[in-house]
Amino acid sequence: MSGSFYSNSTFVAIVILALVLLFIAALMIWVLRHISLLVKERAGVEVEPSFYERNIKPKVEKWNPTIVTLIVIGALVLVLGGYGFKYGIEEVGVQQGYAPDQPINFPHTKHAGTMGIDCQYCHTTAGKSKHASIPSANTCMNCHKGAQLREDYGGNVSPELAKLYDAVGFDPETSTYDPDAETHPIKWVRIHNLPDLAYFNHSQHVTVGNVECQTCHGPIEEMEKVEQFSTLQMGWCVNCHRQRGIDVKNNQYYEDVHKEMKSKGEHYVTVAQNGGLECSKCHY
Amino acid sequence: MSNSENKYWRGIEELEANPAVMEQRSNEFSDKLPMEEILGDSEELSANRRDFLKFFGFSVSAVALAACNKAPVKYAMPYIDKPENVTPGQPLFYATNCAVYNEGFPIVAKVREGRPIKLDGNAESPLSQGGLDAIGQASILSLYDVNRLANPRIDGEETEDWGEVDKKVVDTLKGAKGKVHVVSRTVTSPILQASIDKFVAAHGANHVVYDPISYQGIRDANKADFGAAVVPSYKFDEAEVIVSFGADFLGTWISPVRFSADYTKNRVPTPENPNMSKHYQIETLMSLTGTNADQRYTIPASKQGKYLVSLYNMLSGSSSDIQELPGNALRQIADELKAAQGKALVVCDSNNKNHQMMVNAINNLLGSYGSTIDMNSHMNVSDYDEAAFGTFVKQVKGAGAVVFVNANPVYSYTKGAVLAEALKNTKVISTSMVIDETSMETVVHAPDNHSLESWDVLQPMNGHYLISQPVISKVFNTRSAAESLTAWSGEKVEMGEDQASHKWVTDYISSNLGVNANKALHDGFVTKSASSNASAYAGNAGSAASSIASAYKAGNGFELSLYQKVGIRDGSWALNPWCHELPDPVTKVTYDNYVSISRNDAEANDLEQGDFVKVTTKSGSIDQLPVLIQPGQGRGSIGIAIGYGRNVKTTLDNDLVDLGKNAYPLMSGDNDFFVGDVTIEKVGSGYEFAQTQTHHMVEGRNYMREATLDEYKENHGVRNDVHIPVANLWEEYDYSKGHHWAMAIDMNACTGCGSCVVSCSIENNVPVVGRKEVRRRREMHWIRIDRYYAFEADSDETASVRVGPSHVQQDFKKGQRITKENEMFGLDANSAEGDNDYGHYDNVQVVHQPVMCQHCDHAPCETVCPVLATTHSSEGLNQMTYNRCIGTKYCGNNCPYKVRRFNWFRYNLNDKFDYHFNNELGRMVLNPDVTVRSRGVMEKCSFCVQNIQMAKLNAKIDGRKLKDGDVNTACAKACPSGAIVFGDRNDPNSRIAKLFKNERSYKMLEEVGTDPSVQYLTKIRNRKEEVQHS
Repeated sequence: MSGSFYSNSTFVAIVILALVLLFIAALMIWVLRHISLLVKERAGVEVEPSFYERNIKPKVEKWNPTIVTLIVIGALVLVLGGYGFKYGIEEVGVQQGYAPDQPINFPHTKHAGTMGIDCQYCHTTAGKSKHASIPSANTCMNCHKGAQLREDYGGNVSPELAKLYDAVGFDPETSTYDPDAETHPIKWVRIHNLPDLAYFNHSQHVTVGNVECQTCHGPIEEMEKVEQFSTLQMGWCVNCHRQRGIDVKNNQYYEDVHKEMKSKGEHYVTVAQNGGLECSKCHY
Repeated sequence: MSNSENKYWRGIEELEANPAVMEQRSNEFSDKLPMEEILGDSEELSANRRDFLKFFGFSVSAVALAACNKAPVKYAMPYIDKPENVTPGQPLFYATNCAVYNEGFPIVAKVREGRPIKLDGNAESPLSQGGLDAIGQASILSLYDVNRLANPRIDGEETEDWGEVDKKVVDTLKGAKGKVHVVSRTVTSPILQASIDKFVAAHGANHVVYDPISYQGIRDANKADFGAAVVPSYKFDEAEVIVSFGADFLGTWISPVRFSADYTKNRVPTPENPNMSKHYQIETLMSLTGTNADQRYTIPASKQGKYLVSLYNMLSGSSSDIQELPGNALRQIADELKAAQGKALVVCDSNNKNHQMMVNAINNLLGSYGSTIDMNSHMNVSDYDEAAFGTFVKQVKGAGAVVFVNANPVYSYTKGAVLAEALKNTKVISTSMVIDETSMETVVHAPDNHSLESWDVLQPMNGHYLISQPVISKVFNTRSAAESLTAWSGEKVEMGEDQASHKWVTDYISSNLGVNANKALHDGFVTKSASSNASAYAGNAGSAASSIASAYKAGNGFELSLYQKVGIRDGSWALNPWCHELPDPVTKVTYDNYVSISRNDAEANDLEQGDFVKVTTKSGSIDQLPVLIQPGQGRGSIGIAIGYGRNVKTTLDNDLVDLGKNAYPLMSGDNDFFVGDVTIEKVGSGYEFAQTQTHHMVEGRNYMREATLDEYKENHGVRNDVHIPVANLWEEYDYSKGHHWAMAIDMNACTGCGSCVVSCSIENNVPVVGRKEVRRRREMHWIRIDRYYAFEADSDETASVRVGPSHVQQDFKKGQRITKENEMFGLDANSAEGDNDYGHYDNVQVVHQPVMCQHCDHAPCETVCPVLATTHSSEGLNQMTYNRCIGTKYCGNNCPYKVRRFNWFRYNLNDKFDYHFNNELGRMVLNPDVTVRSRGVMEKCSFCVQNIQMAKLNAKIDGRKLKDGDVNTACAKACPSGAIVFGDRNDPNSRIAKLFKNERSYKMLEEVGTDPSVQYLTKIRNRKEEVQHS
């Protein structure tokens, strides 16, 4: 994996180097030509005006140098700045909209949408751990041992499901597990990636904060192919922490905070007011 | 003279105002950028403008190219069939056994996603009581050691097929022309014993036990006096007067974790019970235990027997044959021991049977048996029989084959070289995990599992059965030694899921221990009533005394005492970088062994610190060993640590390869760690130790507070009476709401063992930097233990020594303690004209003080950070945000406690730091909840904020308030003596809130006005104001 993106960057570097070399080569040719012209001029040989002198110079001479310079610089700033902005966003790892191909074309539309299966039926640890965790293959098999979707594929097993059966060593024809089969875990592509320096815990948000999955992940139940809905940038985290209140009433842990809130006659304590913006809440 | 004027110094360099050290002290980060190293091996780097432009251009283009990387694609691979109890992201805890203690040690392993990442002591077991020492902490890395054999080997060739291995072994044994021998470490496992018995029966083999550290003197003496060759359990918690003759029971002797926990129970005076035990240490070298003693005396090791006889005579009322300590101290000790009849304990490290018989006689006079010494719950530390092993060594030449079950005598046996030579004539089969000295040439090498991968039952203490269960599936293709031996006896052995040893263990638990197997596995140990075959004391002290008298002869030259280092021990697990990066608790040297010598002897022999010497004894010699001058060491004696000079096959390229010198061959051959008639000869000079004692110095400020027990009884707040009012420029923040995290460190409980340092490094992914970087004062430990010396008080106040370089000569009263920079400067005892009396260097007191980030509520580091990378939280934490840090190091400069560490390099995945951070396997030990820091950022103690956050979250999920004890830091958890307490000081019922109200509690450098969240409890020593010296 890392090999391919390193070679990408090497390729970019080679292209840039090639362009620079070409530019220098062109410059050299131009210098050479100029020198030879000068030599000829000194020798008194009549020189034919070049293409530039004939066609371009008379037109350019009429332009206002200030305006031209401004236009050129402006265009450069726009192009380079635009490129830089896009590049900068990618550089800090903002992957909003990232929707990679997955090894199995899993339709959330069908599972979460049409059938309305609760998110935590499969992502079981979202409420109790740091990771929401991608369900293990045996979770899929809870249903798909029976539901083989043959009706949609003319009596054959769905090709996507076949990949699942292959992974767990299940024979759909006999509906039995083959004890000798080689099993292998499914290599899903991670969509939501936080840098190592940021700590995020799902259970804090799902169980304690009662945050809906969709608040951060978007309308998953409508996504044929899952993509990153939010920016996952720090500003996005902080915004929410500034706005959202804590459910202090129903949690003994916040007893003191609740008392203080009541004594001040307030009705609302945000995450930020409770120290939710402090560095070491997420960075350690 | 009052203790209030205690003057502390870090080392001779500071005391004698070594200019280099003084310079370092004022320039914390003075080192230049290591341009030469980064840019190649140019001998001299005269950076001119052109070079600058080159570097600049290179950097710019390098940055531009590096920035082209897009985020790589990451994968998430769930289980195929998730085990029911595994929740990714949540740790599981299993009670099991720690590898480094051959006899077994109860631990709890923290396991994340199937890999153990942290070990702690099993609080339920009396052997641990929650603590775990430095080497035990570090032992987790031996599981992820790249030097381990990945597969069994036949004639040096790897194979994956254990069937082939078994066939080869059986063929070899069948074809053997001579007797077959099995050499193992002491076997405390009935499982392994059964398989050895089967093997012995099947092949008519001979089983011998080999241990580098044998305690044979104690066992032989007990055999003679009680009819039972056992090492008894010593109960330091029952003792009011403890006299130790050289036994380093807090560091390395028998069961240091348990002894530390027990010892401390009587060492912390409280207003309700303002008493503490009295501890005398009479020893040759400066041991960790010696540094903790109330009163310490140095004697030559050769005279230990004489002192024991004298003590016995004094106790029994005889006045003959008395060898006194200076100031008639032995008489005083005898009187105190007698007064504490039934609550006294005398221990001794000697491996000499007669010495131990005298100790038995003394303890018998004092009524210690049954009170402070328990013969029933004896410790199964060793069954090594010197004579039997000697016979085996003679038989090796004609042996058919020798099977080494994890024993490594070629390294640690005195005549290891002879054994190695003899082994060339026979066939060697080994089960060691790595290719060690003994298994260099093997017919079959069948690597054993790591103890964290094994099922086993061990009995470290009589009646105390430890259950070892695997906490990770096997990392390599290995098999437990018990299974191998059984397979080689001709039995079929199941491997894989239903491995044989699992069945053996469950069978043993149900049939022999008679408890529910699940409960036994959950608890990690089973305790049965213990009895021994020891009869009443029937010793003959008189004959032992006369043997001692006749054996004593004044030697020539130096006496050598070999000793174990706290982090290294016998050297069996010495390829562990954490053990070597941990500074020795006394000398603060990392990575080396050396000849320690007293200041006087060094002067007399024209030796300086860092000189190389050749040490020769009757049985061997070591060349090129550096000299270290150790305050408090007895004159005429030198000390060398064993456990170094290992020769293990490794692919790593780091400081652990070829480290130190092997001192075992210097032993006199009778398994005695004392060697007489030693000569040393200077062969070179200029060695620079990687010694941390002068690093991170707090300039001459008053950091330690110490008082005597008598002073404490008069005034519980002694030394803490004066408070300096501090003005505050900032608006005071109200910390009374929510949590306010704080830590208290009881200096009476802290022994300085260094367990917290290793525990912290593991918990917080602190990198190992290596010897060269330690020399440059760049060790990364978040917690350090400062060790301070102070000269002993001396009654002879009239006698003064002229000290200091000639231009600042001052008269200082003998024994006067020294402090403050300007005073310190004048305290070099090396006067220009003549008076070369270094007597006061022999008699020093030592204190240990763990220092980590103090989480000051008025933190000086926070106000100077230009990018707000370090800020304060509402819970009183001083937060360090790595991703904001730009590496100005202003915070480190402004920290009065010198606890901030700068990442000079990227230590992970860097070939120049080829420790566990540089390989896939070693990085399995990383804590996934803590960031691995990169180059150019500051870091420091976070109060284990990951544990705080986790505990808070668990409380929130359960909908309850946080309880005291829910949150703990790695250092506090590890501490065997419970010296560190962590908690929420806003919780009025918490231990920490009570400790903060304790009158002994003080803030370090209170006068600076930093208002730290760490408080120390004044050290109280149980000693008189003054001690009579002759």
